Amino acid sequence: MCFCPLAMSSLQNALVTATAMGTACALLSVFVVLRRWAFIGEGIAHAGFGGAGTAWILALLFPSASFLSSQQGVYSVAVLFCICTAIGIGYVTRNEHVRTDTAIGIFLVAALAWGFIAYGIYSHVRAAATPPGWDEYLLGHMSQLSPAYTAASLAICAIVLLVTLGLSKEIVAYCFDPALAAVSGVPVRFIHYLLIVLVAITIIAGMRLMGTLLVTALLVLPGATALLLSQRIGIVLASSATVGLIAAVAGTLISDRWRFILEGPAIVMMLVLQFAAVYFYRWAIKPR
Amino acid sequence: MSTIAQIANLDFAYSQQLVLKQICLPIERGCTLGVIGPNGGGKTTLLRLFLGLLRPTRGTITIEGLTPRAAIARGDLIGYLPQNYNLPRDFPITVRQLARLGLAGKTGLLKPHKPDDLDFVDWLLDRVGIPDLAQRPIGSISGGQQQRALFARALAGRPSLLLLDEPTTGIDSSGRQRFIDFLRNLKHELKLTVVFVSHDLQAVTAISDRIACLNVTLHCHDALERLPPDLVHEFFACDLQAARVLKEKSKP
Repeated sequence: MCFCPLAMSSLQNALVTATAMGTACALLSVFVVLRRWAFIGEGIAHAGFGGAGTAWILALLFPSASFLSSQQGVYSVAVLFCICTAIGIGYVTRNEHVRTDTAIGIFLVAALAWGFIAYGIYSHVRAAATPPGWDEYLLGHMSQLSPAYTAASLAICAIVLLVTLGLSKEIVAYCFDPALAAVSGVPVRFIHYLLIVLVAITIIAGMRLMGTLLVTALLVLPGATALLLSQRIGIVLASSATVGLIAAVAGTLISDRWRFILEGPAIVMMLVLQFAAVYFYRWAIKPR
Repeated sequence: MSTIAQIANLDFAYSQQLVLKQICLPIERGCTLGVIGPNGGGKTTLLRLFLGLLRPTRGTITIEGLTPRAAIARGDLIGYLPQNYNLPRDFPITVRQLARLGLAGKTGLLKPHKPDDLDFVDWLLDRVGIPDLAQRPIGSISGGQQQRALFARALAGRPSLLLLDEPTTGIDSSGRQRFIDFLRNLKHELKLTVVFVSHDLQAVTAISDRIACLNVTLHCHDALERLPPDLVHEFFACDLQAARVLKEKSKP
């Protein structure tokens, strides 16, 4: 098989993209679960909807700028909006003066409300037309992935791998206890924002794959499953990557075999099944 | 004797409330400084200022000539054992990995730990009496063993200055004596300077070379023998004479 994205079939493209995103999200999901940031994915993912809303309003305000009405234009504004939201959440929660779940809840509903208002305005002005990118943002569409998107997914996966390997001791110290890490000389503010931005980037990339409604599953379930399997961080990271990889490949193949099943929901169901299997296995072997 | 740390004309206020006022306190290298005082007297705030977690409203703190933040960033100057620390028991690391977390700042970003630092952590685990637990997950050990692992973590970067926040809380009297002996030996072996913040007057007097009585301002900073008993009684309603007898008994 040739790994040049330009020369691949749509199934190969989808498989490579799903593998890359599944691995990247699964590695980060261990830290997301350990920091109790499960809700953060929801916040950033729904910020994408607010970002899309901003693009729709901009498209109405500047009708001559056709880029804003294209899927790429909407996606670009959504990316910007997600990164700003992630940094905003990171800033508000840096000293834990505002609880993380409270901050995320506020950003989440604000972005959702803004997205729905923008949707309403766009539909009203354009005589009930659906704004560009509406379906893609809600549910994702892997069959329409471009080779450039596949290449970007591979790059994101490589960045996540390099960062988690290169800064593993600092990230683990930060996740264990940020205050204790700070007094041991770990640059916790840098690690805090680095993790938030990495989570934001993987969510943004994963949104095209899974949709805003389901992308959080990739950032929660692999880590949650792996943490049931072991109490050693190395094994947990490897298990999480494996769980993410299995779900991504199996979900993509299922969706390719039965076209009426979307890739996003299929991947999530594979993740849920693995979690349930591990959970009940632990329950079954637990001494009574 | 040279000073390792110096507090000069320090004021600290939370909003408008002055918590520390006009503190001047030299800390001599190699000594054990006990800091005593009533609740709300500013003991923990003083530790947080040492750790660079708070900034002085006025005045300065220097450790080996550096600001607390610069000293902390070096990773090999300050060790810290927090008060009543609840370990996240479900965190997936072993006792050895927990102790090695104390090396993260010293080693630096994108670098692997040095082999002799890793050997030192293993030596520390041996020294604190839990070498056979090194490979055990932290969630599977007892509270006392966790405290020992945290002690190893605090010392992993080979700090010159060790800050202890109420280390004897929750320890019974025989355990307290073992802790005092252990700390005294370790201090000698590692040539540590220790700042020991505690309500436990018996432990403080048993181990400290000098004692600082802190209640917003510094009331007294001297050797135990020269502390005025009525001042300590005012702070703790505690008989200093009895504490002195205890110190004599606990001398090795």
